[in-house]
Amino acid sequence: MDQKVRLDYLIDYLMREKGNTSTDIEAIKKDSFEEKLHLFQGLCNIRAPKPVDNAFIEVQDAFLTQWNHERPLTTISDLAAVEPQLYIWQGDITSLKVDAIVNAANSRFIGCTQANHTCIDNIIHTRAGVQLRLACAGIIQARGRKEPAGKAKITEGYNLPADFVIHTVGPFIDERGVSPLKERLLASSYRSSLTLADEHQLSTIAFCCISTGEFNFPNQRAAEIAVHTVKSYLAETGSELDVIFNVFKDEDFRIYQSLFEQSE
Amino acid sequence: MKKRSEFLFIEKEDQTYILSMTPELQDDIGTVGFVEFTMGDEVKKDDTILSLEASKTVLELESPIAGKVVARNEALISEPALLNSSKSEENWIVKLTDIDEDVFNQLEEA
Repeated sequence: MDQKVRLDYLIDYLMREKGNTSTDIEAIKKDSFEEKLHLFQGLCNIRAPKPVDNAFIEVQDAFLTQWNHERPLTTISDLAAVEPQLYIWQGDITSLKVDAIVNAANSRFIGCTQANHTCIDNIIHTRAGVQLRLACAGIIQARGRKEPAGKAKITEGYNLPADFVIHTVGPFIDERGVSPLKERLLASSYRSSLTLADEHQLSTIAFCCISTGEFNFPNQRAAEIAVHTVKSYLAETGSELDVIFNVFKDEDFRIYQSLFEQSE
Repeated sequence: MKKRSEFLFIEKEDQTYILSMTPELQDDIGTVGFVEFTMGDEVKKDDTILSLEASKTVLELESPIAGKVVARNEALISEPALLNSSKSEENWIVKLTDIDEDVFNQLEEA
């Protein structure tokens, strides 16, 4: 089965599973491979965490393995440290082949459920496969209540190049702006993720810019808290973790670079 | 005597220490819609004492001090918004005893 055939199968399965419930998804054209890929992503985003056929998993895993690996992947040895154990890297976090990548989750915890929304939660879930949402749903069901801000949970990475995904809910900044509590919760998201990585004896962890996207945390202040918290954690615990600050936007890349230039 | 740590007040009344939220914390999290007490009868520092879901955030409150739990504000379970009250008889969370007096004295004055 080649990628085209797999993609047709996956779309067909997800459309049948979805049934007649009307969504905007129907409006997506599916003439080219790219359009079909877009539709597939949207269908994954809206799929509820319910049981899935083994046959689907088999085709999905084959499709995702190829899709995830046909682009350049980055490992820690490709990067130069800006300081011992600390790295900055700009790009798609799902192309990092490291022990764990950190996902900016929300309190519902099953991933973003908006079709084709361009958030990090969606792309991590799509490229990992439907197993990731099932794992997150299992965690939150066992917990019996929503995931609080500032904590962290770990799952496998499934089809991602990364072995694990650490999910943390950062603080949401509303019209009242940043408060001491929100700053404290953001630091706590970093610290909880690092602690969890060490508990699982991981060697490399890549952070996205937690809370800066959909959650409105100002980029500069968020980066300062991120760098300060990671440095303090490493110094206090003697942890040997290699930590990548993964940035996506140019703005964040400049901010992180300037933070490390200042400290030299 | 009243102290604060992080975003909680700890008020000493006879030999009991009463934990409640600071007004800053009340404002920050918004109206509380759900609470669940998650601690046992003994708490260590940083143990979760209350899980809450408010209009602005989902949060776990941690104990700033170790001690023995002698009372929980059970009224919060049916009426979580009492946590947003300004009245101390309504908005308290737990009462502790057997805390380390030296640790308490070192906390910031409220």
